Amino acid sequence: MTDTTTILAETRARIADAPDVEALRAIEREVVGKDGVVASLLKSIPGLPAEERKGAGQSANELKQAVLAAIEEREASLGSAALEAERRADGFDGTLPPPRVERGTLHPVTQVTRELEDLFTSMGYMVLDGPEVELDDYNFEKLNIPADHPARDTQDTFYCSSPGSSASLLLRTHTSPVQVRAMERLEPPFRAIVPGKVFRQETTDASHEHTFHQMEGLVIDRNVSVGHLIGAMKTLLRGIFKKEIEVRLRPGYFPFVEPGFELDARCPFCTDGCSVCKRTTWIELLPCGLVHPNVLKAGGLDPEEWGGFAFGLGLSRLVMLRYGIDDVRHLLGGDLRFLDQF
Amino acid sequence: MFISMKWLARHVDLTGITPEQLADDLTLSTCEVEGIERFAPHMSDVVVGHVLEREPHPDADKLGVARVDVGGDEPLQIVCGAPNLAPGQRVAVATIGTVLPGDFKIKKSKIRGVESRGMICSVRELDLGDEHDGIWVLPEVGETPLAVGQPVAAALGMEDWVIEVDNKSLTHRPDLWGHRGIARELAAIYERELKPIDLEMPALGGGAPVSVRVEDPACSRYLGLAIDGAVNGVSPDWLRELLLAVGQRPIDLLVDLSNFVMLDLGQPNHAFDRDQLAVDGIVVRKARAGERMTTLDGEERELVESDLLITSGGDPVALAGVMGGEGSKVGDDTGRLLLECATFDATTVRRTSARLAHRTDSSARFEKTLDPTLPEAAAAHFANLLRGLQPGVSFPCALADAGEWSDPARSIHLRGDVVRRDLGVALHDDAIASILSRLGLTPTAAGGGFDVAIPSARALKDLTMERDLVEEVGRIHRYGSVPEAPLVGAIEPPPFDRRRQMVRAVEDRLAGAARFHQVLSYSFTPDDLLERTGCAAGDFVRAKNPVAPDMARVRREVLPSLLGLVESARRERDVVRLFELGKGYRPEEAGEDGMPREVHQLAMVLALPTTAADAPFDAGAFFQLRAAVDDVISAAGVTAPCWSSADTAHPAAHPVKQVAGAWSEELDGCGFVASLEPGVARALGLEGELASDVAVAVLDMDALLAAPPSPPTYRPLPKFPMVKVDVACVAPSEMPAAELGGMIEKAGKGAVRDLQLFDVFRGEALGEGKKSLAYHVVLQSDTKTLTDKDAQKFLGRLERSLEQQGAALRR
Ligand SMILES: [Zn+2]
Repeated sequence: MTDTTTILAETRARIADAPDVEALRAIEREVVGKDGVVASLLKSIPGLPAEERKGAGQSANELKQAVLAAIEEREASLGSAALEAERRADGFDGTLPPPRVERGTLHPVTQVTRELEDLFTSMGYMVLDGPEVELDDYNFEKLNIPADHPARDTQDTFYCSSPGSSASLLLRTHTSPVQVRAMERLEPPFRAIVPGKVFRQETTDASHEHTFHQMEGLVIDRNVSVGHLIGAMKTLLRGIFKKEIEVRLRPGYFPFVEPGFELDARCPFCTDGCSVCKRTTWIELLPCGLVHPNVLKAGGLDPEEWGGFAFGLGLSRLVMLRYGIDDVRHLLGGDLRFLDQF
Repeated sequence: MFISMKWLARHVDLTGITPEQLADDLTLSTCEVEGIERFAPHMSDVVVGHVLEREPHPDADKLGVARVDVGGDEPLQIVCGAPNLAPGQRVAVATIGTVLPGDFKIKKSKIRGVESRGMICSVRELDLGDEHDGIWVLPEVGETPLAVGQPVAAALGMEDWVIEVDNKSLTHRPDLWGHRGIARELAAIYERELKPIDLEMPALGGGAPVSVRVEDPACSRYLGLAIDGAVNGVSPDWLRELLLAVGQRPIDLLVDLSNFVMLDLGQPNHAFDRDQLAVDGIVVRKARAGERMTTLDGEERELVESDLLITSGGDPVALAGVMGGEGSKVGDDTGRLLLECATFDATTVRRTSARLAHRTDSSARFEKTLDPTLPEAAAAHFANLLRGLQPGVSFPCALADAGEWSDPARSIHLRGDVVRRDLGVALHDDAIASILSRLGLTPTAAGGGFDVAIPSARALKDLTMERDLVEEVGRIHRYGSVPEAPLVGAIEPPPFDRRRQMVRAVEDRLAGAARFHQVLSYSFTPDDLLERTGCAAGDFVRAKNPVAPDMARVRREVLPSLLGLVESARRERDVVRLFELGKGYRPEEAGEDGMPREVHQLAMVLALPTTAADAPFDAGAFFQLRAAVDDVISAAGVTAPCWSSADTAHPAAHPVKQVAGAWSEELDGCGFVASLEPGVARALGLEGELASDVAVAVLDMDALLAAPPSPPTYRPLPKFPMVKVDVACVAPSEMPAAELGGMIEKAGKGAVRDLQLFDVFRGEALGEGKKSLAYHVVLQSDTKTLTDKDAQKFLGRLERSLEQQGAALRR
């Protein structure tokens, strides 16, 4: 029979070399298991001379305890080595690119429109909608632009036909028709904005589009003055540019307002001229004016009692200014590489 | 339009005012200045030279070698071919380094072996006219010869600034289409005097006036002034320079004067060579069909019956208000003139010039509606200017003056309170009166305000009502001096706008969790795209003047716009998710006002690479899009519709793979979800490498708005544990999943909390015409803990009901 000391020494060596817990369990089974070395030692005891039996039993038990202790020790050390390895995290590179997160986008025109809607609704303006296919009457006549008015020259209009209809239809050239539609429908006083698509028969290039977005604003009240208009426009610009913007009002001719203005804002992108402001430090931003008495009449309001102001903000232009977009055609082009940027 | 500062100074003293200042002031009070530029800036680099001697070139007969004193230490040697070069002349010399028009830089050179250090310039080389048959011999100014070496511009007093005004900002102001009109504004702005000019008709001879007959009301006034003894030739330098400054090439004296009068007063006019007219008389009439005439630019033009003509002896001699005729234009030997100053109808002139695509300085002015009193002033101006230059001219007969017109001058009552109310400034009545007077309007105190006399020049369309005068006061007072004022009055939040809220919720969900890209498209859908998507049928609103012939149709629906983007988007990436909220127009459902019905739609497209045959049943685009649609409907706060197989008849929808949604019999359906029709997919180029699994959906926003709302509701958390049961049902292939789902719900007697299909299987093992659908079912009660026994009862009920419908439970 083998000497337990030798067995212990051999087993300890194997335990020390065991690479993992599974190997330890195998050694454990082999040495102290049901049919293991220790068990066979114990089984052999009855065949020993009586005086050796006690000693043999003792050594077998000692062997078992020693092996179990060695396994436990080794297991603990293996465990902490695993922890350490986990902590060491060999080869980890946190700068590897993470997986792409796909996302959707809101169109930049929607984003800017919403911002303005929020600003205006907080000041009591309603948000109105109007038809894109409009009657000549609302787009021109009721806005004090009779047939053969020279202003119609500058409004390159898409005139339309619609099967079965004899109405004079067109694609609205501005959001202004909603002015009269609003006056007809709403009880004054009221405040409203009208974001929407408008159309001009125009050859397209990087800065001209036949379809673009505008936002009309209309305030109808008693005793509305140019001073109120200036105040409202300054509030609007603060909302857009998030800072105080110097403005100037100069005469501008639009038949549906009188007096009519062009509102220029001090270029927010430079102090001494840049390409955005064409080196003038002023950006022509929004046409506006006091609602023309003839338009009030067309909307069923008495110009002696009611007055108001109106303005038209070029949403597409504002979006281009905001993001530095150099080609207006991107806005309606639907190119994902463009849309993905917003 | 170009305005010369020097020209303006003929009408108003501009001392001390810089061009920049003037541009700003005009912009802030009157019209938009687009830019200011120096007139002929190179003339400040070209210097006065004194030709000391001229010798023949040793190697070239036609060239000369001149020595020219330009004020330097040594005279310059310059090779020059001009035949008129002679010693003693004062000439314009471009020295080395000077840049002439056309970006032509003068360099030291050798011409046929002789060194040349500069250029002696002709008029054309200096861009001051067309003369180029010799060098420009500078004119004498005063008693002493021009000082050598100084810039020619300074020596001849040519310095001028040119102001470009945006024509659009003058649309409503015919009076500003001449220098005097602009000068009147400046006089008002700077509170300076508008210098008087002589607009009195000179004494006319006693002869009978030239016969003029106006046969058409499109000419409201035709005035003909006969002039004898004119000598045509080159205009004086001051006149040439003023014309050049505003971009008008000098032609000859008579044409230049005609142009000058137009650019000075804003009244177009035309000088006929009276000897070239067929008969000595004028008839103004409409053109006859098929009539033709050659205009003075040499083009033969075909006329239509709406064109207004000036004729003589039956032949057209001018296209009224647009252009004169070739035959009767003035020439070198013209001595007898007939000067036409007339008032033509704005629309008539505009239509003719638009039809011929030929806009002239004249037509641009007539289009604005001109003052019928202006022709007389213009004729007098021309006569006086010509007589000033050629005292020998005479006016042999009385003025011919035909047509029916009335003086539009009027009076408008203006209340000071209205000015103050509308402008929001405290402006005293005296200040108001002062501004009006400076503008040439005459206020007289009346009835607590003013009766303001409006002169004819401003009375036609420009100043017609009280508000127009408020603007006059405001712009001269300056809007910059109007104090900013807050709007006052009760601010109430605008009424709740459910459509707006729903639109936002839909956009947010799609662009957010659903990861769709929002597209905004054109309202025109190209014919070709409509054909390819099968959507070309039906009536369309059409643009009569589209940007391109195939872009006339205004869309009926939004979906084709998105489909047009799929191919290029799929080239770009594997998964394409697009949506658009937009409008479509349906002519067949026009309202009483004749407007087509407007539909508001949400269109969605989902395109994926073709899914593998063994992919799970819900991996394809159709089911993914259905999930997104259900989700967005729930985000819109609307009850989920029932989806059922239906024939939507939409040409882009797969004939079988489609469902339509509806809430009830009474409500309009909400729209559909479908796979893309395979033929359409191919027509869109989605084949081969781009073969895609594409699903489309269209939701009607108006139907969504009308649908029963489904706001989030709280439900107490369950008190009793749930029981999970998996059931597999074998059913005939044609039985819809929705029906099976209904049976499971029913068998649960209200205890089915959740039902999730996790497998769909067809195979031989099941037998012909069968399918197996497997569900995770969650059972839960609000009143007790469900046991295995309850689950078994549920399965029993389900089994019986399945069997009644020809299906079975797989145990
Ligand atoms: Zn700038």
